[in-house]
Amino acid sequence: MTTHLYACAHAEEFPAQALLRLRTDLAVQPVVVLDGRPPLQTVCSLNRPARLKGASLGMTRLEAETIPGLHILARSQETEAAARAVLLECAAHFSPRLESVDESTACACVLDITGTERLFGPPHTLAERLRDSLASAGLRASVSVSVNFDTARMKAATTRGITVIPPGHEAVALAKLPLDALALDEDPYETFAIWGIRTLADLAALPESDLVARLGPQAVAWRNLARGALPHTFQPIEPAFTLREFCAFETPVEQIYSLLFIGARMIDCLATRAATHALSLASLVVEMKLDGNRAYQRTIRPALATTDRKFLLKLLQLEIAAHPPQSAVLSITLSAQAGQSSKVQLGLFAPQTPEPSRLDVTIARLKAIAGEDRVGSPVLEDTHRPGSFRMESFAIANPTAPYKSTIGLKEVPSRPHMALRRIRPPANVRVQLNALKPISFRDREQSYRVTAAYGPWRTSGCWWSTDPWDTEEWDVLAESSTGSSLACLLVHNRSQNQWQLEALYD
Amino acid sequence: MPSAAALRLQIEHSLERRFPAALTPVPRTIRETAPTGIPQVDHLLEGGLPIGAISEITGPMSSGRTSLALAFLARRTQEDRVCAWVDAHDAFDSESAAANGVALGQLLWVRCKAPNPTAKPWARLDQALSATDLLLQAGGFAAIVLDLASTAPEHGCRIPLATWFRFRQAADRTRCSLLVLAQQPLAQSSAAVVLECTREDCSRQPEESPSQTVLTGFTYQVSSGRQRFTPYLAGQRKPPASTWSTTTTAQRDARA
Repeated sequence: MTTHLYACAHAEEFPAQALLRLRTDLAVQPVVVLDGRPPLQTVCSLNRPARLKGASLGMTRLEAETIPGLHILARSQETEAAARAVLLECAAHFSPRLESVDESTACACVLDITGTERLFGPPHTLAERLRDSLASAGLRASVSVSVNFDTARMKAATTRGITVIPPGHEAVALAKLPLDALALDEDPYETFAIWGIRTLADLAALPESDLVARLGPQAVAWRNLARGALPHTFQPIEPAFTLREFCAFETPVEQIYSLLFIGARMIDCLATRAATHALSLASLVVEMKLDGNRAYQRTIRPALATTDRKFLLKLLQLEIAAHPPQSAVLSITLSAQAGQSSKVQLGLFAPQTPEPSRLDVTIARLKAIAGEDRVGSPVLEDTHRPGSFRMESFAIANPTAPYKSTIGLKEVPSRPHMALRRIRPPANVRVQLNALKPISFRDREQSYRVTAAYGPWRTSGCWWSTDPWDTEEWDVLAESSTGSSLACLLVHNRSQNQWQLEALYD
Repeated sequence: MPSAAALRLQIEHSLERRFPAALTPVPRTIRETAPTGIPQVDHLLEGGLPIGAISEITGPMSSGRTSLALAFLARRTQEDRVCAWVDAHDAFDSESAAANGVALGQLLWVRCKAPNPTAKPWARLDQALSATDLLLQAGGFAAIVLDLASTAPEHGCRIPLATWFRFRQAADRTRCSLLVLAQQPLAQSSAAVVLECTREDCSRQPEESPSQTVLTGFTYQVSSGRQRFTPYLAGQRKPPASTWSTTTTAQRDARA
């Protein structure tokens, strides 16, 4: 028969731990967490510095406010759910069989670690690694290992640090624990107090038949629990892998740098979690709840999936700087989509191209300088309308493709074509005609004498739509009154009978 | 009395063990170049525009500066290299670029804009310089065109020399050809090559061919105003500074 082995990770004061996990600035400050509806809020969780300051569970807000230097935070179910997911995820690295055993303000789970010795070493080593893993995720937990499920659970809930209970010593390990450790739903504690039963050792020493005669059949389970001999049917859960972090602020935040302080920690957590699954972050979605019941959402998509924290933080900073929230921020949620880690194998003779992650940051900075829609690659539209194009986001085409020979790939004209320089928007000009040909024109600054005019070149289209065009183009060589000459493109809009200087040849 | 050549030979011979070729300038490093695709210009530049240096293409309006830059970009993008066009006055015409063979997908176009209609003229210039700086620092771009062709010379001259020096260093470090289109030379000693473009008259007048509706037979003249990194053979005296000139012909593509 296989002997099972269980490890229990127990994170006490979980509401406070969940809030402080992302708020590293408050980690060593006295913090209490209030729960309930105002004005009947009471302290539901607190950290050690707050306890040393004199705070205790059940205090009202007024009492808590009288303690100087105490940080008062509101309980956040979303933050706790995110932290709980992190705890389960950390535990899942050590065993796929987990059972959640949450108790009031504590978050705990029991792992079935049977047969993991060859992977993680003896139970004590596993317990240390589990505790370190949780600590790196920002959670402090006590860990207990036992062959009995409930023994591991009760010992972890009442003892700090790491405890490994040897097989057969369960009753001894539980002997000194108070009866509260049983966490019973019923209330037999008064009876036990009258009998003078205060510890689990006292309960375990009672004769079973007499106990059942007085307290009923459920007393057998209590006694076995106190002896560390209650059998348990393991009910494993399967924690969902969701990359999501949430943080609510006690006061509305207006400064971007304050948001980035939290954002950096969130990205750090998300990247670490993705990396443990051999994944990267393919996209980041920033959601904020703003003052005035408004919402804010932006999506960041790096060119390649990555776990580079500094790079992702820079993209987040540039995105928020380019699109700042319209009002103060009440809470921020950062969720990520996992993607395969990028593997780029460049050819030995491939031409040098910008590094994708660096290019992302550069383009974001360029957009901050020139504008969102003014940086990218031009793409010609499928139309005959002169000068029509659209901007698309710039991306290096298939960086993994092997280097191709340049011979005969695309056609380069044997003789260069004359290039146009567009004037955006086109300048209105007054044109003097002779025999329907322009002989001179004048813009805002000076007048030009036309020395040669080629045209007209008539184009029209989209007559069926609301945006038709019907123009007459003239290639013109002109001399100004100051003696300078130019070659330009004059366009006569036939529908509006208007002449415009649309481009210069260069 | 011995001639200067004989004296020089004598001095060099006597100092040969301590200073090889004491009176002969050391051979300069020959810069790697990239062809522009216009044979006359490549011949003038002895290979093409330098890689990892600043090249200035100057001249008045309609002198072929943009056509020359597009021809160069066409070559670079055809080799699957990534290029950028920093457009201070939003004058880039993508149709002309495509007609010249530029792979638009390989081109990053930065369209600077004035923050507001009443902004000072150098607001665009500031944006263009900042954008060029970022692109040079990012690295990986084979060529960057800083288009200041529509910028008035009095504004362009206000760009500090330290900026050009920084661009030169960055271009050298990232092996990027930085092309500056302007009306007058701006980069001063930081430029490796300065090309001066001028326009010659159109070869055919419309009166000669009345049915002609598009401009053709345009001729540009390109001369090299300044060229560093000239190939130099050891043992020869430094040649006097000279000016080359050549002509190149371009034509308006059919608009059908």
